[in-house]
Amino acid sequence: MRKILVIARHEFIATVTRKGYIFAVVGMPLFFLVIAAIPMIVETSGDGSSKERGAVAVIDRAGVVDFGLAAEVIEQVGATSDASSSLEPKKGLQLIPYEDLDRALADLQRRRIQACYVIESDYMTTGKVSVYVRDEGLFSRLNPKGERELYALLRASLVKGRVPEPMLQRVLRPVNLTSMKVSERGHVQPSESEWSEVTKLIGPFGMFILLTMAIFFSSGYLLQGMAEDKQNRVIEILFSSVTPEQLLAGKIIGLGAAGLLQVTFYALVLLIPSMVLVVTVQVGIGQILLSLVYFGLGYLLFASLMAGTGILGSTVQESNQLAAVWTISSMVPLFVLGPISESPHSALARGFSYFPLTAPVTMLLRISLTTVPVIDILVSVGSLIVGIFLAVRGAAKVFRAASLMYGKRPGLSEILRWLREA
Amino acid sequence: MTAISLRGVRKSFDSLVAVDDVSLDVERGEIFGLLGPNGAGKTTMIRMIMDIIRPDAGRIEIFGQHLTERVKEHIGYLPEERGLYTRQKVLSVLEYFARLKGATRAQARQSALTWMERLGLTEMKDKKVGELSKGNQQKVQLVATLVGDPEILILDEPFTGLDPVNTRMVSTVIREQAAAGKTVLLSTHQMALVETLCERVFMIHRGRRVLYGHLDEIKRRYSDNAVLVRAAVDYRQCPLIARTVPENGTMRVYLNAGVQPRDFLAWLLQAGAEVEAFERATTPLEDIFIKVVQEGGG
Ligand SMILES: Nc1ncnc2c1ncn2[C@@H]1O[C@H](COP(=O)(O)OP(=O)(O)OP(=O)(O)O)[C@@H](O)[C@H]1O
Ligand SMILES: [Mg+2]
Repeated sequence: MRKILVIARHEFIATVTRKGYIFAVVGMPLFFLVIAAIPMIVETSGDGSSKERGAVAVIDRAGVVDFGLAAEVIEQVGATSDASSSLEPKKGLQLIPYEDLDRALADLQRRRIQACYVIESDYMTTGKVSVYVRDEGLFSRLNPKGERELYALLRASLVKGRVPEPMLQRVLRPVNLTSMKVSERGHVQPSESEWSEVTKLIGPFGMFILLTMAIFFSSGYLLQGMAEDKQNRVIEILFSSVTPEQLLAGKIIGLGAAGLLQVTFYALVLLIPSMVLVVTVQVGIGQILLSLVYFGLGYLLFASLMAGTGILGSTVQESNQLAAVWTISSMVPLFVLGPISESPHSALARGFSYFPLTAPVTMLLRISLTTVPVIDILVSVGSLIVGIFLAVRGAAKVFRAASLMYGKRPGLSEILRWLREA
Repeated sequence: MTAISLRGVRKSFDSLVAVDDVSLDVERGEIFGLLGPNGAGKTTMIRMIMDIIRPDAGRIEIFGQHLTERVKEHIGYLPEERGLYTRQKVLSVLEYFARLKGATRAQARQSALTWMERLGLTEMKDKKVGELSKGNQQKVQLVATLVGDPEILILDEPFTGLDPVNTRMVSTVIREQAAAGKTVLLSTHQMALVETLCERVFMIHRGRRVLYGHLDEIKRRYSDNAVLVRAAVDYRQCPLIARTVPENGTMRVYLNAGVQPRDFLAWLLQAGAEVEAFERATTPLEDIFIKVVQEGGG
């Protein structure tokens, strides 16, 4: 056991002091921060100075618009659309009456206003409205600012004074929605807003992503380390001091720790912005524990597979190619992420949960989404344990047989023979 | 006491029998030479001793035990295929290998530093292994086998790639280790070094034993009953002699079958010759090696 820890410590230090590792740990979050920052920079720079932000000119040649209703209408449209779907409700949209089209166009060019609507004089018979926006390429015409607000304002203006006041209120605010959720067992309860539903999932889903990443980072390091040991020809020296099982165990512990350290760092980096946005990340303690179980089992499985595969190739590159078999099959659940997320108890989801190679990712995902039935947990843990047992034994056997075959890549039949004998 | 013992060990790779029914004993405290032409099976034997390859048949024991992890701690192994962590620093690589042999952190450091000093590697301790010259990497590799202070040293061709100075240094280290009671199993193609270092040898050819025993005794067995003499005398007068061959200042005198060197010396003295030098001529190990290989190759 002491030697296993010596190996683990050596492998851990050797990995975390590597340039590639440090780059991945520090570089990845930086990369994402930059990616996330670009739209913000573009947005703030594109909008110009903030006081003209969201101003829209309306030239009412038909004399139908009651601008006194504008404020109420804008608030109404904002409340039903923006607040629930976007992080930051659009504030400060203004519908400003203009008289002169030339002046409006000049302001448009000077970026004082975002768009100019002209309600033509024959509007009442034809419904004709023209809109002027700046030509800013492909997307500028897709969604002129203030369109929905203007439509609502026109509707309200047209009926004002022709219907009783309460009905005007209903035209302005046709729906006061209460949404209810019906659970699988038939419980009816009020549902929260979409936004709070999303934030509820951020914690579990983030945990799913991070633990999945940890599995693949760590087992990737293992693959790399094993192939390098073989390329450096230190295997024979190592085996003169330790058993293949000790070497495998030491590497699994050391590199698992390196991978966990990496995602812990990512988790911290992700937690900071979520705290800034005052999103409470909610993860149940049961969810965490169960996820860690699947992380541990999944890592053990892939680490052993990667170690065995790492030693088969004669170079690091060759080992990477061979290991793609495992990576791809374990990633299969991610290709059907949508269907599984939609119905986490479907036959598809359960099938993937029972097969060792796909079980870790599938179960981590299901745990993050819902409460998984106990039977599924038992079956998947059982199948993972069987899978790990086979993978560890196979890896130890392949170790012994393949470690001396420098520069030669064994054929499939040879590998199968080793797995039987050794 | 027997340090390493092999009994009826056999290993084949597919149809090729690499080691065929080999039995031998290496005694504690001796320097034992493992000889044989290329591809004879030396490395395969050593790998089986180290439990890196499993024999198909036979038994291998170290100090009377099966090779367990505990026993491995007492063996320092220099593999034929050299290899080190090339991207790591010399000292930390050596400390790591010492720790794998069961040393504590302090012991490992101490041992690594002592041996680096001994082999003149001290200034290189903070360099990466891959930055060293080939010969210096070889020395680092040798230190890696010595750091755990093992009881048994198993060295597969330790002299390849070393200059004469380092060759001498390494053979001195080997001799010191044996003097300190350590057992050394040495495979090499340098016959001159075997002659100066080893007490006993085992020669393998095509997987089979062809020579085994004390070097002196083997050399005597293969000597062709000749003596090297420097004396002023007319050899043709002597009835004991088959033929003579001059050999840089002395005469190699081949004696008739059954004639002992002391009989010839007695004749010389009786003939009143001034004898400046008289010694038994032994065949160099290299000649024995070649002869055995050629006979075996037949
Ligand atoms: N892993 C292996 N697979 C197949 N054949 C092997 C393997 N290892 C060794 N052999 C064969 O076994 C025979 C003995 O090889 P070995 O390496 O033991 O020779 P050696 O005496 O050490 O030679 P050298 O002096 O060249 O190092 C050779 O014919 C070699 O090709
Ligand atoms: Mg060899």
